[in-house]
Amino acid sequence: MASNLYIPNKHLKLGIKIWPEMFQELIRNRGLIWRLFVRDFLARYKQTVLGITWAVIMPLLMVGTFIFLNRSGVINIGKTDVPYPIFALLGLSIWQLFATGLTTCTNSILQGGNMVVKINFPKESLVIAALAQSIFEFLVRIGLLVVIFAIYKIIPSWATLLLPLAFIPLILLTLGLGLFFALLNVLMRDIGNIVTLMTTFLLFLTPVLYPPPSSGFFATLNIYNPLSALVTGSRDLVIFGYMKEPLQFLVASLISLIIFLISWRFFHIVEARIAERV
Amino acid sequence: MSDDILIKVEGVSKKFCRNLSRSIKYGIQDVVRDSIGLGSKSEELRKGEFWAVDDAFFELKKGESLGIVGPNGAGKTTILKMLNGIFMPDKGRIEINGRVGALIEIGAGFHPMLSGRENIYVNGAILGMSKSEIDKKFDSIVDFADIGDFLDSPVKFYSSGMFVRLGFAIAIHCEPDILLVDEILAVGDSAFRSKCYQKMNEIKSKNKVAIILVSHNLLAVERFCNKGIFLHNGIIKSQGEIHKAIQDYQKIINQLLEEQKAISGVVPGMPYCTKEAEITNVKYLDKDGKEKREFAYGDKLGIRVEYHTNHNILNPIFQISLCNIEGVHISTFGTHLDSIQIESMQRDGAVECWIDSLPLLLNKYYVTVAIYDKTHNITFDYWNGSVSNKYFQVLPNQVSAKMAEFTAICHFKPRWKVNGKDIYVE
Repeated sequence: MASNLYIPNKHLKLGIKIWPEMFQELIRNRGLIWRLFVRDFLARYKQTVLGITWAVIMPLLMVGTFIFLNRSGVINIGKTDVPYPIFALLGLSIWQLFATGLTTCTNSILQGGNMVVKINFPKESLVIAALAQSIFEFLVRIGLLVVIFAIYKIIPSWATLLLPLAFIPLILLTLGLGLFFALLNVLMRDIGNIVTLMTTFLLFLTPVLYPPPSSGFFATLNIYNPLSALVTGSRDLVIFGYMKEPLQFLVASLISLIIFLISWRFFHIVEARIAERV
Repeated sequence: MSDDILIKVEGVSKKFCRNLSRSIKYGIQDVVRDSIGLGSKSEELRKGEFWAVDDAFFELKKGESLGIVGPNGAGKTTILKMLNGIFMPDKGRIEINGRVGALIEIGAGFHPMLSGRENIYVNGAILGMSKSEIDKKFDSIVDFADIGDFLDSPVKFYSSGMFVRLGFAIAIHCEPDILLVDEILAVGDSAFRSKCYQKMNEIKSKNKVAIILVSHNLLAVERFCNKGIFLHNGIIKSQGEIHKAIQDYQKIINQLLEEQKAISGVVPGMPYCTKEAEITNVKYLDKDGKEKREFAYGDKLGIRVEYHTNHNILNPIFQISLCNIEGVHISTFGTHLDSIQIESMQRDGAVECWIDSLPLLLNKYYVTVAIYDKTHNITFDYWNGSVSNKYFQVLPNQVSAKMAEFTAICHFKPRWKVNGKDIYVE
């Protein structure tokens, strides 16, 4: 029979034992996460005419704008190893896995507020389901990428098959930050706005729509920006079949893992305080 | 801890903050302390905080049912939310043995855009059911909810009654060992309400489920529960037998009304009275004219209104209304309604109203009495049995036992005719 004990500061008193508990909870709730994902998915596209095409419209518009700006000479993007549309769309698709993932995760608990106050269920399910949403959108965008590759008659490297592995650190980083901001967003609603602003800003600081600069301030910044290594590394894998900067990718992966673990533990400890502040 | 005890609450307290910006500040403070491993000093009140529940002790065994009563803001829902693990206690400990099913708000977690079918799966998963478990119970859930053709429509097109029915149906099917029910059945119609109580009774006696019921419908609580807690301002004022808890609750309500009366001279809901004539006493009489509080279906009942006046009042009107404890107005009797003229009223006297055969079923009842002038516009005095805590009870007998399964509030003796032939029954 399931047994539960509720005492003040319960999770804090667990100490190191909190880790097995967190893993068990995650495994126990896979069914719920799947249901919540399906729910969000159905609800999101049910009342739209274009449905999931929305997942490709945004990157197309964005890349189209950049091509236009580049051709008209407003900005100078520089030389890319593959035709620019392929370079930019590939980069942006990977980027959006992070960016939309982070924004939907950040808002997930607040949006589920009604449920959070009235039903006891593991709240990280909401955040993970929100992330699954952005992974799904990435899968839709693969269709777009296939079309673009075909148009330019370019065959992606066999190493593309390793992409799911290469995405693990990016997904951990997104989830880590998402779990953290989702809780803070309940306490201070400003967080939602800040995250949206931050992802837009980061898009231009990270070599997503332009190739990594080789010198100057931006080059230095790139070394310290884990997102830069994660996006460029995955993109290199598709285009060249290997990573140009494997060490940077490894360091970024390690940072992502640490951020995820700290943030997950933080979430688990603080989770219980959230219902009363929603 | 013995196997039979499902819920054990020991010295549990919960504090809340009244002020929004302070609440945000404290929230951040607690989160920061938690995350650096300091823990919060939850047992102390900070500025602007108060105890919403203070030092609660109780336990509940298998197959028991506990009713929590108390005025709004007494902390009833907070207790339920702590038992459900939505809120963590700030002091004390709660031990729960078994799967908890909570009906704190029905339909929380329903997505308005999704169909009833989709929502059954989502909500079931949120309540902790696996897909195969839901598959197995799907038909039974749909059957209980009785939503018919609406199963595949978005729930935003549902009536509020259908919404509640579906929510209750899902929650009751997750086979809890402990069921927490907050004031939720108020939305459904009476047929569905009695279906819900029937179902809860069934799982209580058959599956030995422990049930906690929070409701302002005192009659329902009194009928359904065997144990009771009366909660006031976060403090358990009395607990034990449900009848005792309800009595204590009513006593406090009456006290509050009295205080209000003492301050302002009026009781809420009470008409302005000139007091030219005053009701000095109201009695319930049995067939021998003796004061009594307990009757049975079919008994003779007299209502005696004693008055006093220093004036000479011509043609006053006496009006008596009969209500059950839930405040449902059953019938009104008036001297003017039966065209009876009382010539005059002087000094002390009494008016009696007799009912030969009570058509009432098992419940508690009270009357309200008013004396008006002959135009029915001026109220001399008004007396309310629920305010004065003067009820009479209709006890079970053969007839009311037969009627128990229906939700009717009264019963008239009918005369039957079958194929043109009169049938006489005793």
